[in-house]
Amino acid sequence: MYEAVYAHPDGESTVSRVAVAAGRYDYDGVVVRALDARPDYDRLREACDVDLVDAVEIDASNPERASGAVGNYRPQRELLVLRGGTNALNRFAVEQPRIDVLSRPMAGEGNFNHVLAKAARDNGVRVEFDFGPVLRSDGGTRVQAISALRKLRELVEYYDAPYVVSATPSSHLQLRTPRELAAVGEVIGFDREQVLDGLREWGRLAARNRERTSESFIAPGVKRGRYEEDD
Amino acid sequence: MKHLPKHLRPRRRYLAVEIETWPDADLARGPFQRELWYAAQNLYGDAGSADADLTVLGFDYADGVAETVVRARRGHVEDARAALACIDAVGGDPVGVRVRGVSGTVRACSERYLHGRAGISEERTVVFENDSRTAVVRDSLFDVRGSDGFTGATQLDFE
Repeated sequence: MYEAVYAHPDGESTVSRVAVAAGRYDYDGVVVRALDARPDYDRLREACDVDLVDAVEIDASNPERASGAVGNYRPQRELLVLRGGTNALNRFAVEQPRIDVLSRPMAGEGNFNHVLAKAARDNGVRVEFDFGPVLRSDGGTRVQAISALRKLRELVEYYDAPYVVSATPSSHLQLRTPRELAAVGEVIGFDREQVLDGLREWGRLAARNRERTSESFIAPGVKRGRYEEDD
Repeated sequence: MKHLPKHLRPRRRYLAVEIETWPDADLARGPFQRELWYAAQNLYGDAGSADADLTVLGFDYADGVAETVVRARRGHVEDARAALACIDAVGGDPVGVRVRGVSGTVRACSERYLHGRAGISEERTVVFENDSRTAVVRDSLFDVRGSDGFTGATQLDFE
């Protein structure tokens, strides 16, 4: 299971510190959703017990800017996350097969509907369930966040859209173990397995993208290498 | 009052909980218990949190890491986990909370999952972002002091 985190300078802890904590918290890997962070992955991967995924989170004000960033970062990074939060950005993200994850679609002004859910399913864009506000806010904001999550979950379930789960931690202290997230998920209406599967999805995405960017990959189903044996 | 016969006593489970925080924080049992009650109440309401009966038993804090035992009624362990996960700060100090394990007795819980002090910490001067800063060092973990709070790092960031 993987967790997608903000690392220094976007968050309060460096990648290595989050990786140490994630190892103890039963995670197999950490997705570094970098806004400005540029850690030295080669050196860190050698020293850390957990897998590190070189991801970028695009935080753009409108689809035009986001589109430019997507084109820039797609060839460079292993995983591409776009931060939603307005209707225009959510719409843009689910219609782009080049984007891996639509993050925080319900934050701020953002909303989600059946059209977006269908587009997300057709384009394979993972919709993120952000547990951050459930874990770290209270009162009215938290109530709104939980009801937004419910709406999103119902749409995602009905249209069978792909999804990921994250607590969006910005320091090693905001990490929570998969079991704890599953327990919180159960209280707010998720299925236990659903939450764990959302955490595994980060790892599956990273593995898929690594395979696609590896040299032996030509197109889906086409691979360079030895001939397959007929049996 | 005479205590209940054994078969009528409530069954309980004990959760070994590790709480991590920045080194300048001062955690204690009272504030943590209060946060736990708030978290449970906000998550389940009064009825649910009365059912779960969450009580903080021991509390051992040193150098940014606390170990504690939280009691819950049997059958409400997952509720207890969820409430614990929702604690993000104790008295204004941000905390990381993790359940190390669950046992049927306090003794088994503390013997199996709690190890006492987390290691000796010391102050050191380090160079972070081309700037000389003080850091609190525990094992290979560094908490670097800055103008607006701490930054978490490890030995790797200074090699």
